[in-house]
Amino acid sequence: MAKRATVLKVTGLRRAFGPNTIFDNFNLEVRAGEAIALTGRNGAGKSTLLRCLVGADRPDEGTIEVCGHPMSETDPQVRRDVATVIDDLDFFPDLSVVEHLDLLARAHGITDPDAQVDEVLEEVQLVPQSGQLPGTLSSGQRRRLALATAFVRPRRLLILDEPEQRLDVEGVGWLSRRLQAERAQGLAIIFASHEPTLVESVATRTVTLGAARG
Amino acid sequence: MSVSDVDELDGPEQPEPPVLTPASTRELRGLMKDWRRGRATRNLGQALSDAYVAVIAALMIGAMTVNVILKAQRVVASCSTASCLSARALLPWAAVLAAVATALAVARLFGPVLASAAEGFWLLDAPISRSKLLRGRLVAALAVAFVGGALIGGLVALLTGSAGLESAVWAVATGLSAAAAVAAAAAQQGRERHRLSRVASFVFGLLGVVALLGVVGVAADRLTFSLTTDLGTEIGAAVAAFAVLVLLIGGLLAVSRLASIRRTRLVSGGSLVRGISGAFFALDIGLARDIVVQRRTMEIGHVKPRRGHGEGLQALTWREWQRLRRFPQPLVGWAGTLVVPYASEALGLSAVTPVFGALALFGAIVPMLNGLRVLTRTGGLARCLPFSMSQIKMAMVTAPAILAGVWAVLVAPAFVGVVGDGVHRPFGTAALMAVATAGAGLLAAIRWTQAKGVDFSKPMVSTQAGAVPPGLVTNLFRGFDVCLLATAPMLLGFSPLWSLAIEAITALVLFNSFDADSMRARQQDAQRQLDLQKRERESQATNAKQRKR
Repeated sequence: MAKRATVLKVTGLRRAFGPNTIFDNFNLEVRAGEAIALTGRNGAGKSTLLRCLVGADRPDEGTIEVCGHPMSETDPQVRRDVATVIDDLDFFPDLSVVEHLDLLARAHGITDPDAQVDEVLEEVQLVPQSGQLPGTLSSGQRRRLALATAFVRPRRLLILDEPEQRLDVEGVGWLSRRLQAERAQGLAIIFASHEPTLVESVATRTVTLGAARG
Repeated sequence: MSVSDVDELDGPEQPEPPVLTPASTRELRGLMKDWRRGRATRNLGQALSDAYVAVIAALMIGAMTVNVILKAQRVVASCSTASCLSARALLPWAAVLAAVATALAVARLFGPVLASAAEGFWLLDAPISRSKLLRGRLVAALAVAFVGGALIGGLVALLTGSAGLESAVWAVATGLSAAAAVAAAAAQQGRERHRLSRVASFVFGLLGVVALLGVVGVAADRLTFSLTTDLGTEIGAAVAAFAVLVLLIGGLLAVSRLASIRRTRLVSGGSLVRGISGAFFALDIGLARDIVVQRRTMEIGHVKPRRGHGEGLQALTWREWQRLRRFPQPLVGWAGTLVVPYASEALGLSAVTPVFGALALFGAIVPMLNGLRVLTRTGGLARCLPFSMSQIKMAMVTAPAILAGVWAVLVAPAFVGVVGDGVHRPFGTAALMAVATAGAGLLAAIRWTQAKGVDFSKPMVSTQAGAVPPGLVTNLFRGFDVCLLATAPMLLGFSPLWSLAIEAITALVLFNSFDADSMRARQQDAQRQLDLQKRERESQATNAKQRKR
């Protein structure tokens, strides 16, 4: 069987805040069709690592390559390949839910944006809220919209920070099935999670960060 | 079964609940005052003596402002033609109308009667007279409106060359008009209706623009009616008397309806003030505006979705046009600023027309850049788009840039000198000046919009006023600096080409600032790699030496 292409390669990554070393000499290789779950206690560095991977934070040492290109947040090619849902996602206050998804689909040059948007909207169960402005959404609905922004566009690598946050039980079940389907289609996924069922059902490998609490 | 049987069956007799005497409003207020003042570690005098640098700076700026006003007054007072005098007589009217429109809009946004979240939780639920509790808030709102209006009215009257008494009368009249507007809005708040104040705000704003157009028309001899400045004091007093009447009626109605204002309405105004005051504390005007925009969109809540057009960057630009179509209020502001260069020229202030024009356009374009603001304040949404930051910025400013271009075309006749007794310029120079002025306004708005908040995590700068985060004070001048820098050559009488050259450099910096960050980051990466290689070489050399030994 042919070896699948490497989508993300992390070598010797180090990040420290003053005397606190969050992670040091961290290495990781993620291939197409693989899903890596990052687990660990609060403060273990999962979110910091993901922030470094998406370019929102800069590591002190080490290199990150996405599809063979050095990671640069401002590189259009990297932005085209990597879909992210981390805490810094913002929304246009005066564009409705469906208009956000329509804008992203069109910006990425999707051939039939209306069909794609309708499908994703249906899937994240935001059809009744399609005309609402983001400021009026509940925290769970905002989370669903954030996930929808990642699914409405083309991608090769999906980076998610605790995607199950604020989702109800039904929502976590849907997310699990969706990520399994994404993985089966050859997408590389790296996600941090505290939800054992999600990790168990989606991850092909689990990386535990930080030492266990004494 | 009798009642007494039931009592026996139900067990021992329950004691009567004690009759409690609720605290009075005065007692609760006193308690809150004690909490606030009891926790203060310094009195006002000590705080002022600590802030002596700020006090001295305020005095210096105040003295400079007075000097500028006196100089401008001398210049304007020199105009003696009937048309010029009529135009000057119209300006205080424009100030009154603008003050009323602004007071109504601000009052509607905040309440005008409001309460903090703590008061909402602790006091508004208590069995006390809500009317008595809120009366002070109403008076405070009226006082703020009066002072704000008086400052605007007084300044305009002074700048139009009015004498001391006349300026004072117009200041009082404008202040009372603004206070009357707030009283009327408060009366509406008690009825949970805002339509009348919204319509009144629009009408007064429109009348203000019409008055400004009247200034231009009269000064340019296009309108023939004549107003005399001799009766300025009497007219101002009449306006003040009418405002007092409205203030009394509105105030009485507002007081009688205070008890019926819902708690959520009171507290939401308070939370808005808290958010905005927090933003102002960090001198982050952009954040203050974000809070207001967020609040407005939350009030709207739901819109009729519109399908986008095009793909790639075109989709971004198209959405900006759709956004303007959905919320066209910025276009009204933009149209209003067209009057500014004409009014400035009509009043004989030709030298400063580019500065006034650029500043007005700057203020009008900022509300059109909401999209750019969201994409630059955090990286999350921009990261979802497959474009470089420069490309995104270009797409987001296309619509405002086109409007700035149209603005330049429409105000070019003002620079030619078609109105008033101002300077007459050749068409080529005037066209270049109009373009340079529009460019300055546009670039200033872009700079203001994409300004980052103050970073309190960076090392502080030591000043005589204590440790200050870098960029705290300069944040206040963002945008204004571009306006002044770009229009300075025209102000000093040089060719507008110099202004255009400055704007070209500014545009290069503004559209590439994010990429400059990325370049800096790459440079740091390269430096880090070099350091790593150096350390490895040193370590190899040390190992080799040890092996030799």
